[in-house]
Amino acid sequence: MTFRVRRHLRAAAAAVVALISVCPAGAQSAPRSEYEIKAAYLFTFARFVDWPPRAARDDSSFAICVLGTDPFGATLDATIAGAAIRGRKVSVRRISSPEAAGACHIVFVSASEDHRMATLGPALAQSGALTVSDMPQFADRGGMIQFVTAANRVRFEINLQSARQAGLMMSSELLRVASAVRTGGGPV
Amino acid sequence: MLVWPQTAHSQQQTAPSRLTELSLEQLGDIEVTSVSKRPEEVWRTGVAVHVITHDDIRRSGATSIPEVLRLAPGIEVARIDSDHWSIGVRGFGDQFSKALLVLIDGRSIYTPLFAGMYWPAHDVLLDDVERIEVIRGPGGTIWGADAVSGVINIITRTAAETHGVMASVGSGNIDRGAGALRIGGGNGSTFDYRVYGKGVNRGAEHHADGATFDEWWTSQAGFRADWTRTAGDTITLQGDVSKGSHGQRASVASFSPPSQQPLDGNLDALGMNVRAQWQRDFSSGRGFRVQTYVDRTVWDAPHFGERRTTADIDFVHHATIARRHTLTAGGGARVSPSAFSQAISTLDFTPRRETSSVYSAFVEDEVALIPDRLWMTAGSKLEHNSYTGFETEPGVRLLWMPRPTSSVWTAVTRAVRTPSRIENAVVSTAYSSTTTVPIFLRITGNPDFDAERTTGYEAGYRTALGAAAYLDVAAFHNRHDGLASFGLGRVALESTPSPLHAVVDVLYVNGVNGTSDGFELSPGWQPLTWWRLRGSYSYVRFNLANTPGSIDVNAVARYTGSSPHHQVRLESHLNLAATGEFDATYRYVSALPAQKVTAYHTADARVGWALSRRSEVSLVGQNLLAPYHAEFGHNLGQPIGIARSVYLEIRWRLLNARP
Repeated sequence: MTFRVRRHLRAAAAAVVALISVCPAGAQSAPRSEYEIKAAYLFTFARFVDWPPRAARDDSSFAICVLGTDPFGATLDATIAGAAIRGRKVSVRRISSPEAAGACHIVFVSASEDHRMATLGPALAQSGALTVSDMPQFADRGGMIQFVTAANRVRFEINLQSARQAGLMMSSELLRVASAVRTGGGPV
Repeated sequence: MLVWPQTAHSQQQTAPSRLTELSLEQLGDIEVTSVSKRPEEVWRTGVAVHVITHDDIRRSGATSIPEVLRLAPGIEVARIDSDHWSIGVRGFGDQFSKALLVLIDGRSIYTPLFAGMYWPAHDVLLDDVERIEVIRGPGGTIWGADAVSGVINIITRTAAETHGVMASVGSGNIDRGAGALRIGGGNGSTFDYRVYGKGVNRGAEHHADGATFDEWWTSQAGFRADWTRTAGDTITLQGDVSKGSHGQRASVASFSPPSQQPLDGNLDALGMNVRAQWQRDFSSGRGFRVQTYVDRTVWDAPHFGERRTTADIDFVHHATIARRHTLTAGGGARVSPSAFSQAISTLDFTPRRETSSVYSAFVEDEVALIPDRLWMTAGSKLEHNSYTGFETEPGVRLLWMPRPTSSVWTAVTRAVRTPSRIENAVVSTAYSSTTTVPIFLRITGNPDFDAERTTGYEAGYRTALGAAAYLDVAAFHNRHDGLASFGLGRVALESTPSPLHAVVDVLYVNGVNGTSDGFELSPGWQPLTWWRLRGSYSYVRFNLANTPGSIDVNAVARYTGSSPHHQVRLESHLNLAATGEFDATYRYVSALPAQKVTAYHTADARVGWALSRRSEVSLVGQNLLAPYHAEFGHNLGQPIGIARSVYLEIRWRLLNARP
């Protein structure tokens, strides 16, 4: 009797496991907020980029900075909470000037800075940080990675020349997944 | 402008940290709720604005734009019958939603015939809507005349966001049948398009006498194409055609008995519009947008007909000057020729043919007084309209953001509502009483009727409360001059048409002045990643009086008693596992004495679940707390009961492979 109940339980458990293993596909198809995805990208990019050592930066931890009006709210902090990149603790900082970017590994440039990109570009290039933004034409204006949203999916474009000038090495995996890679002024 | 509750909104569904375990390709394949291109803007806006997102619309279970607008605080949406609504912002609820400007992708659906919206004739596919910005308070400085109590900006998704095939069918006891099909494609970057078609058939609400005059149907089809030549250089072409038949009960007077009787029939509406827009943004922070559209409507009702063609062109240029100034300037022109056709002898317009026109120019400067902290915006619109000539609508706003997650703002703005055709040129006769001869009241358009002018004083505060909650508060004090009321004209005996009758002329006059005050409180809280709560409380009070010599004893009561003083709304949105959703809404609306409507509570609920990655089912119940309740008066007899309703919808999506 007990044995039989246990066998039923085991069958039920197997069915539940089977259901759960089917579920993640459905879970992923549920729409997510745009900035949740962008926050996850910022974290993931770190796996595919090598930074040269910098005097201004504390390389024992990993700093993701947001320059300008923060569009992430609490999402970015929640995404990286307790996370580590190559064994280094990750922190989020909000900065208001490009001079402060020297201490950052990744700088997300808010669309609020669009009007001063002409002056920001050179200052950010000096900082040696990976620059990422979703403002229009960011990659055309000296930025390294630009988010592009199409068909409700967030993809990204790369300006490889900007990254190289700053001494950053991008892995071929990152370049392969990018929807466009620019090596000079225009798209390849 | 964008979704201000970004913090609460952004941490949806499952733990966000799981996303960091995905590969780059997997991240690129996740569908996002594209809330906005520039989400920081609502924080950075010194305006009382509420943004209804695509997801909010879907989860509300609403089947029409007016029902969706209930989501915004400070808006009074009252359903009169199945196909009519009274919509007001901060008071001034009215069947024609006077003093409110409504735009669908920049195309105004305000009709100069009665200075308002005829909602059932201007539809969109709700699944195409990216967001609806509901702006409370005078918006004349940017938006121009008629944006007096508010602006409703309906913005559809770009064609790149609607790739693939979407099909839906639904049916219920009142929403008897609805279906939609949309097909979109393109390469996701330089050229994208969509075409759609939809049809709706809705039954009558609850009538004590069993009448069913408010049944209606409408069908609509349209397209949109977006062509991006280079980044920041986009041309959009879109258009719609619609045909519908909307049930009405009109009250019709005749000089021979019976002097006044109801007339049931359909308003047959035909609509066509096409819009082109060119938007160019330069890297220097400079950009422009030029838009033009043509909109044609043909209405045939049992008691009147109107044909109208509106052509509009609009230009806006913005530039950053000396780093701290963002200068926006623009101009526009609109011409709207129309022809009224008489169907009954007691309703006419003089003249029947008319062309109204508006020419406008505006300039506005946003100055960053302290970069990233304090901004001032000042500007004015100068407008010339064919009814009242030149009007100026200046405004000044101050915005302070002590932290990136909170803002304080204040504003003073002026707006005008220009007269409508009705106020200017109508001749409408209604039976009053019989003494020795029958007496008729003849409402007569008054060419001297001036614009209604409003000056608004506003302030607001928005703040995030921790990572999972926010609060938005806005308060206002509006000064109104020259609101419409009735004045007395001449009294005469007329023998044609026979029999002999007396006619008392009643004129539109600017006979009411005064103030309105109120506030809206809208908090939101996400206690768990899968549970979101939102609410709002809206309060408005009036202090209106007749101008000296004004004789309309009902006007003040009509204004103050047609909008609820108190409105409460509570929403709960639950995500159940990965595939289920449960949404519930409760609302309370206080009494409308002028409309013979008592205070009411009601509730809506929706259950949605994904059958597979490609299909979802939802079951929606509306007005669940009572078999029916009245929301607004009807021009004939008792208010109509808005019935409890239930409907089921199935939706399929087939998405193309990645663009």
